[in-house]
Amino acid sequence: MWEATVNGHKLNFHLAGINNQNFIMRDEETGSWWQQVTGEAIQGPLKGAKLNPVFHDELSFPVWKREQPNGRVLKPDPRVASKYEAADWEERYEKLRVVTPVERGDKLPPRTLVIGVKINGAAKAYPAAALEKQSPILDELGVVPLLLVLGEDKKSVRAFERSVDSRALEFFAKTGSQTLQLVDAETGSTWDFTGKAVSGQAAGQQLQRVAVLKDYWFDWKIYNPKTAVYTLGER
Amino acid sequence: MEKTQTDNAGKRLRVFAWLGLLIIIAIAFAFVFIPAFLIMPFKAQTAQGVALSYGLKSWSPVVTVIAALLSIALIVYLWRGARWFGKTAMILSLAPAFAFVWAARQNIYERMFNPLSNPAYARASEADFVADRDMVMSVVINGEAAAYPIRQMGYHHIAQDTVGGVPIVATY
Repeated sequence: MWEATVNGHKLNFHLAGINNQNFIMRDEETGSWWQQVTGEAIQGPLKGAKLNPVFHDELSFPVWKREQPNGRVLKPDPRVASKYEAADWEERYEKLRVVTPVERGDKLPPRTLVIGVKINGAAKAYPAAALEKQSPILDELGVVPLLLVLGEDKKSVRAFERSVDSRALEFFAKTGSQTLQLVDAETGSTWDFTGKAVSGQAAGQQLQRVAVLKDYWFDWKIYNPKTAVYTLGER
Repeated sequence: MEKTQTDNAGKRLRVFAWLGLLIIIAIAFAFVFIPAFLIMPFKAQTAQGVALSYGLKSWSPVVTVIAALLSIALIVYLWRGARWFGKTAMILSLAPAFAFVWAARQNIYERMFNPLSNPAYARASEADFVADRDMVMSVVINGEAAAYPIRQMGYHHIAQDTVGGVPIVATY
């Protein structure tokens, strides 16, 4: 998700092509081509320009609705609603073939779903399956203490810098609550899925959000060739 | 003797004109179909291929019009003195010439995946078109929250919106 304004001009985007299974968009105003996943202009007058990323989440609808009861939802376009993906599209996409070269001895199969995190140029891929087995995942990326957590729907993923006043915290899942709750070992406070301490000593504190990209391994790797891969229990 | 020479020269010119017609149509074909072929789904792309596609695609609207005009000019030149099959071939060659002019102005990706025509929004509590298992892209800017269901985004790929006063483009 990107800001649509570049150098003070609002751009209007159209689908224009495919580059290694990631789409290219073209802006009406300059005709430049933009790579969807990086937000970077790869051809045309604006080549080299980058769109500003907009912080966003991928959430299951019930979690979103609970957090944003006053939000608005894009309606289906009645002309083409019959062409939308079926509800089981994720299962079917996992079986699609991959066209980019598969490296022998690669760390993961190409269609593995990963949660990609990038902080200060350091990239790391967390297989979604690892997070399903163990949530939260506590890690360090570069010098940043990181927390990855799966929502109560077992689908929504969020990442945070797990520190308050430059002190790293250890988090544990709190059992027996309907919505997701975490407890930190240092202050014993309870935190919710938005990264906010809802009770305890740290009440009112907000963990710094970290952007995540849910992606297939083959795609993540193209744009982050030096990425590390998380293995369960490495820490 | 003199007459045969001019006849021969005229014949040679006609051969060149025919050849020119063929080459012009081939060039227009290349400008339209090479980029379509290079940047199609389900194959690997290279940076050079993408750059070439961009170059050809930017020029194809102009090149195809010039090609069509040149074709017409050559046909006008060749028409007199052509026999019935020559005339038929000329008429038939106009069809691709005009088809390429048209094709250079089409966006096949937007034909496959129609852009959102009039994006409309429902309140969270009224969005009964989203199922509980569905995922949404969620954004909150300056206190305004919007969600773009991924099953819709997987088709349109692009949704343009203004959230909290900020123009954004949601992509999936």
